[in-house]
Amino acid sequence: MELRMNVIETSRLTKYYGKSRGIVDLDMTVEEGEIYGFIGPNGAGKSTTIRTLLGLIHPTSGSATIFGKDITAFGPQIRQEVGYLPSEVFYYDDMRAIDLLRYSASFYNKDPKATEKRARELAERFDLDLRKKIDDLSYGNKKKVGIIQGLAHQPKLIILDEPTGGLDPLIQQEFFHLLKKQNAEGATVLFSSHILSEVQKLCDRVAIIKEGSIIRVDQIRTLLENATKRLTLEMAAPVEESVFALDGVSDLAVTNHTVSFLYRGHVNDLTGLLARLDLVDLQVEEPDLEEIFLHYYQKEE
Amino acid sequence: MNVFLREMKAHRWGLVFWSLGMVMMIYSGMAKYGAYEAADESVAVILDQIPGAVQAVFGMTGFDLTSAAGFFGMLFLYLAVMGAVHAALLGAHLIAKEERDHTSEFLYAKPASRSRVLTGKLLAGLVNIIVLNMVAAASSFYFVEMFNKDEPFGSDIVLLMIGLFFLQVIFFAIGAAVAGTSHKPKSAASRATSIMFGTFLLFYVVNLDEDLEFLKYFTPFKYFEASALMTDGALDPVFVALSATIVVLAIAGTYRAYSARDLAI
Repeated sequence: MELRMNVIETSRLTKYYGKSRGIVDLDMTVEEGEIYGFIGPNGAGKSTTIRTLLGLIHPTSGSATIFGKDITAFGPQIRQEVGYLPSEVFYYDDMRAIDLLRYSASFYNKDPKATEKRARELAERFDLDLRKKIDDLSYGNKKKVGIIQGLAHQPKLIILDEPTGGLDPLIQQEFFHLLKKQNAEGATVLFSSHILSEVQKLCDRVAIIKEGSIIRVDQIRTLLENATKRLTLEMAAPVEESVFALDGVSDLAVTNHTVSFLYRGHVNDLTGLLARLDLVDLQVEEPDLEEIFLHYYQKEE
Repeated sequence: MNVFLREMKAHRWGLVFWSLGMVMMIYSGMAKYGAYEAADESVAVILDQIPGAVQAVFGMTGFDLTSAAGFFGMLFLYLAVMGAVHAALLGAHLIAKEERDHTSEFLYAKPASRSRVLTGKLLAGLVNIIVLNMVAAASSFYFVEMFNKDEPFGSDIVLLMIGLFFLQVIFFAIGAAVAGTSHKPKSAASRATSIMFGTFLLFYVVNLDEDLEFLKYFTPFKYFEASALMTDGALDPVFVALSATIVVLAIAGTYRAYSARDLAI
């Protein structure tokens, strides 16, 4: 039996900025090898959690471990194997991109030549000119520098805090592709976002954070499966309502050749039903995470 | 080592300009002495026209102004101010800039502890200070020698430069402490220089009134006053001890506070 290690584990992790809340009693477990989504609106505590894990800020109470080591006692040691890309990137304006990447590499106990080689490969992949000064790079290109400095040392844990802002869709796709590849090679990913389609594309599990606490953790598949789909059918001939008497069907409306209903249940039962029908057209609308998300938010309130 | 090298590189041009400024100041100061001497006017006679109280306030008393070294002694206060401004700004800037420029989120997500980064930065600052001190020492020797009339002056300058170094280290440590302990990176440099100029004003205040002499312990400019150094031919052990205490407390406080506090991001 394979025993999966918890890469990140927080226990009642709490951070107050003076009197204002950051996160409260946050319990989170990220398993080795997964892509863990972390979604919630701005101000919910995503960045606070991440910055606390990285040791940029210190917890008010509670504790957390990464790779089984306490974050307060072993910060530098932990960060040897962590790559981090924040939502907004700022680097030293007077450096060239390559200088920045070399400076970044100099902090790790890894062969700097191998790291630089990888950085150059990534730069080529993202079409980034490393000889340019940071100051002369567009925001999107600075972001690419950010991706490279976060991944070049091949970290075991990749932490991304709303990383896609400023990246054009093609680069974003390339970036996600790269993350999936890193993940397949064994890296664990913590991915925070308020853009739900991103999380949907990338993540295995999703934690929903609200007002400083995680209110639900689910497999992304479960979230989607449990969700309702809207079907709109165009029939060859008018049908009886009774044909659609199936568990999980609701909001049924039959108007001449057009049938529309909501379905929540096993997809096989549904396709079995559809196979017996004479269809002209079929439209299935997937609920996106946004709807699911709103659903949880509203339920909590 | 990487942080040290990075900071050395980042401050290299600043150091060049400060060094040029230092050379210019020493040259122009000593050139005035040369001009007076060449016109066969004794500097002492000219300065005698300035009221004694004013001379005292500006720290112009207690020098043998007929000699180049004595004149240099009077000039020393301004070298001290320059060295102090440089050091205070440097100490504050080295630490505050990461937060001011938002690069702290990059730097401290790397596997380096705050204290390791701090050590690299402080060492780089120390080297900058030493270089500026060496430049001041070399140009002092050169320009005093240029106008000197066969009087020995080497030991005076060595002593003054040691005093300058103490002042530099004190204000560097204070600058570092201001930036290290506070959450407001943007104002760190101005607060550090305010403290420095505050103590400089206090220097005048102490000169103004003998009853206020006890305040001398609060202004490092009094610890290493040129007239006293040149008269005694040695540093005052009380002031040396006081300087060491200030530096140790400021640096220890910087390490403690900077490691413990949240970074401004």
